[in-house]
Amino acid sequence: MPFAVAALVFMVYPVAEAVRLAFYHYNPLNPDGTSFAGLDNFRALAADPLFWQSFRQAAVWTVCSIVLQTAIGVALALLLHLPLRGIAVFRGLLLFPYIVPTVVIALILQWMLNADLGVVNWSLRGAGLIDESVYWLASPGLAMLSTIALNVWKYTPFVTICVLARLQTIPLELYDAAKVDGAGMFRRFVDITLPQLADVLAVVVIFRTIWTFNKFEEIYLLTRGGPGTSTFNLAIYSFEQSVASLKLGVGAATGVVMMGLLFVGSLVYVRVFRFDEESAQ
Amino acid sequence: MTKKTTEPRSRPITRRKFLSDLAAVSTGAVAGAVDLPAWAQQKSNKTGTVRVWGEPGPYGGVAVDAMNEWAKKFAPGIAFKLETLSWDSVYVKLMTDLAARNPAHCISVESPIAYQLMADLLLEPLDDVVEKVGRNRLVDGVKWEYWGAWKGKQYVLPAHHQPHLLVVRMDVINELGLGDPDKWDWNDLRNAARTVSEKKKDMAGISLALGRNLCTDYHFAALLHSAGGRMFDPANKYQVVFDSPETVETLEYVKSLQPYMPKGAVSYSFLEVVDSIVTGRAAISFYWGRPYGRAAEENKAVFASLQSFNHARHPKTGRRSNWNDFQGWCIPKPNNQYVAEVKAALAYYQTSPQWLVRYCHSLMPNVSPTYKDVLNDPTLATHPFFQTKKETIMNYYVHSLAHSSSTGNEMLKGVNPLAGVVHGRSILAQTVQKVAVDNWKAADAAKWGARELEQVRKENLRLLGGAV
Repeated sequence: MPFAVAALVFMVYPVAEAVRLAFYHYNPLNPDGTSFAGLDNFRALAADPLFWQSFRQAAVWTVCSIVLQTAIGVALALLLHLPLRGIAVFRGLLLFPYIVPTVVIALILQWMLNADLGVVNWSLRGAGLIDESVYWLASPGLAMLSTIALNVWKYTPFVTICVLARLQTIPLELYDAAKVDGAGMFRRFVDITLPQLADVLAVVVIFRTIWTFNKFEEIYLLTRGGPGTSTFNLAIYSFEQSVASLKLGVGAATGVVMMGLLFVGSLVYVRVFRFDEESAQ
Repeated sequence: MTKKTTEPRSRPITRRKFLSDLAAVSTGAVAGAVDLPAWAQQKSNKTGTVRVWGEPGPYGGVAVDAMNEWAKKFAPGIAFKLETLSWDSVYVKLMTDLAARNPAHCISVESPIAYQLMADLLLEPLDDVVEKVGRNRLVDGVKWEYWGAWKGKQYVLPAHHQPHLLVVRMDVINELGLGDPDKWDWNDLRNAARTVSEKKKDMAGISLALGRNLCTDYHFAALLHSAGGRMFDPANKYQVVFDSPETVETLEYVKSLQPYMPKGAVSYSFLEVVDSIVTGRAAISFYWGRPYGRAAEENKAVFASLQSFNHARHPKTGRRSNWNDFQGWCIPKPNNQYVAEVKAALAYYQTSPQWLVRYCHSLMPNVSPTYKDVLNDPTLATHPFFQTKKETIMNYYVHSLAHSSSTGNEMLKGVNPLAGVVHGRSILAQTVQKVAVDNWKAADAAKWGARELEQVRKENLRLLGGAV
């Protein structure tokens, strides 16, 4: 019962309200002027080039972040799975990026990436790799790269922990048998480790995709969607429409579109990985 | 040989010493000098915290100290508390709190945003307070409506006026023989910026904000108004007039200055521009009086050589428009149980020249006096900056007024409540970024900006009421 109430209040109601709002013209400063909009808010999205730009950038940001997080996360998990002395310390340290508040990381990163005063440029200059300052947050391409780097740094540990947990449950006999059959390290990874990790990777990728696609605070804190609108994603777009432009209906419509996209994406993903068939067996 | 002396009196008074002495003056002593009229002595039995919003800077604190002095005497159950909002978050914070029907009880906010609020009937009229403060006290060259009047009612009480001017490192300008900045036109300004960039290692010629923020709006608007361009025409039903040759010219001018700015300027806002001035990384900028206080603390060599002038003239129009924030105090209407108390406290502090001088002293010369008696008060000139920066101070305080303009009152041709929405959406800054970041043609960016402004106008006709 408490769960049902909590779910209604904190999950069902906000979603239902967002969907309802998507079909209304609503300016919070002029509530008397609220009127039914039909599909106007969705038409406004379709006609707005910034919406499509934000969509494309959200896709780039999400795909790059997820690919890098997965690749680095698996690599780190494999390293941390090695039976080395003191490895537990490194496993503990792994959690550090995950537990530090995003606002702290974003502010620190802003200083680190500061073109004139930041330690990143200072180090690169010291190593002789650059002659002139690199404008990490003031060049459109590099700003996107910087936001991806922040996301990857912060959430790779999540992938690593999930993969590491699964690695520790793979029966060692499988590897022993493969060794007897003459399989090398690469073959053992491809034929034993990866298939064993498939399920956990599928879950991790689905969750990380949903969370990353919806991410707001990292981009907003680091670049506010700039320079220009080069790091806008749909969450930032929705925020700008709702708060800066006071078009809460359009902001809500963006949220509904995001929800729909993620729902469809998740269905396709589950289908591809055949979870439904496995659970039926 | 110079005789050394250890006598404190013979040392120059520093800004820090001056301000700490000022703070040591008991508030009671300041108030003691005020002969209170009957209306200021009305008592209130209310209790609680009166929330006051102000922009970053010590002056908001001074005003709240004054209000608390009133509260101590006449409303001991309440306390005024300052909440400082950074410029780039003020619009979002204001709108979300207003939407939640929970705004602060008293607000000091930039004039275009105040205009939007008053036209949306979200503010209490303050004509009764104006009568108490004195209608004839304003300095020459300004009108009450500049702070915020709409349809015959005054909604905003002056806090200060605050223009951005041409801030120049005179040591650099003199070293390179670039002439008198007071005589520059746009071409001279660009030439000076280029020369500095070419001749001075690690120094940008000019530092302007090009980020997606209010500072960019304000920098660009001043140039646009100098060129004779505007966003809206209040005399013609607030029609959008932004898609004009003047806008195109201004955008092209900004683009032509960009090579002489720091490369990071495309993400610069207020703080970064001040940083570039105070740390000596730029020779020229557009800015309000704020860098002087910081430079005096952090970089005395820069402070010594800084000077502010009215902006470079447009070569054809001869205009030298600044962006002058006629910032004032307003009282939000929704759910405000302290309207009477805030009005009394505002009137109390606004009728005290001592408090008002102290307000100006707290960040010299960033906040200019708005009343004649304050401007002419001999104690105003006791601030140590008057010894070395008098010309600059008077440019901010007095000589800027002839060139005042803002987005909310373009070329002083009429208050425009749409400007608050324009700032909320960063339309001017986005237009600039289309050219500076995305390399659009200026004409295309002007068209884009005009479309956005037209959208703002269409969606907010209610703000204009009978004006259209």
